[in-house]
Amino acid sequence: MKYPDRSRALMAAGLALLLMAPAAMAKPIAYARGTTVMAEYGAGTMNELQVFYAPAYWWSGGVGALQLRSEDGRLRRDIEYIRGNLLLKRWNLPAAQANVFVWGGIGTAHGNTFAGTETAWNAGFQLDYETRRLYGSFKSDLEEANAYSHRIDTLQIGWAPYAHDYDTLATWVVLQNRHYTGDLFHGVETAVLLRLFKGGAWVEAGVTMQGKLQAMAMLNF
Amino acid sequence: MKRMTIICINLLLALASAGAAARTIEMQVNGLVCAFCAQGIEKAMKRLDPGADVWVSLENRMVAVKLKPGTDIPDAALRKAITDAGYALVKVDRSDRTLDQVRASFIRK
Repeated sequence: MKYPDRSRALMAAGLALLLMAPAAMAKPIAYARGTTVMAEYGAGTMNELQVFYAPAYWWSGGVGALQLRSEDGRLRRDIEYIRGNLLLKRWNLPAAQANVFVWGGIGTAHGNTFAGTETAWNAGFQLDYETRRLYGSFKSDLEEANAYSHRIDTLQIGWAPYAHDYDTLATWVVLQNRHYTGDLFHGVETAVLLRLFKGGAWVEAGVTMQGKLQAMAMLNF
Repeated sequence: MKRMTIICINLLLALASAGAAARTIEMQVNGLVCAFCAQGIEKAMKRLDPGADVWVSLENRMVAVKLKPGTDIPDAALRKAITDAGYALVKVDRSDRTLDQVRASFIRK
């Protein structure tokens, strides 16, 4: 592959990955014997669908498909994967909860940013702390294949204007800061998101400082 | 001996009667902070007793289960269900209050 094409492909993939924030920060395990379906649309450059089932509250497994597109739609990278998520530790406090998650997955990557089909793998961890009014999390995710390698670190701080209950709509304003390293994209991206959920349904939408839309929907049942 | 046996039988009957009347289980649970937590707990309780009505309050860290008449769930089973759902059971109480009465008692507070 010629260098300019590779550069453009890497930039396109990097921009698309910028839009993955909402899906990335949802907890990978909702509850025991629960199924999570998550779909995300990111400004026309990224689509992702994930389905996880949790046999127990401390682990889940499932499949996902990620489509990355350049802004002009000419360059693409498609990744299909299986992934396992593990809750390493949970603290159940009277008015708060904190968690440590780790995960790993393997799949295939193909597209026109590199030749043929590549084996892709992923590993990461997440730390989070949540009350009914405040939310904070840090997540680090490593994405690897022969054709690419990068790490994404994400910090989220959320604030709820009121304390929701099970039968009321939850509203959160989330400030996100994300740092990219590796050979795909280097930089920091800041976004503001509005998160709404009630019962098992969750929708989230926001905008980056560059004015790009992010949106995500999730259903737990 | 006969008198002692009668006392024991009466005591057992009284305990059984008290148990039959205790149709609502009220549990204090730690870690309940989001709707997904509540959803998981509700499903866990309904797996224990599919006919039960369940009320989960994040505000009051409360899980209340109204059982079918004449039924009960042992504390050990409740603790296991809450723990297996990923949360921490702090306290279990039983009463003959309805779920509406349980809700109302918290609203008054």
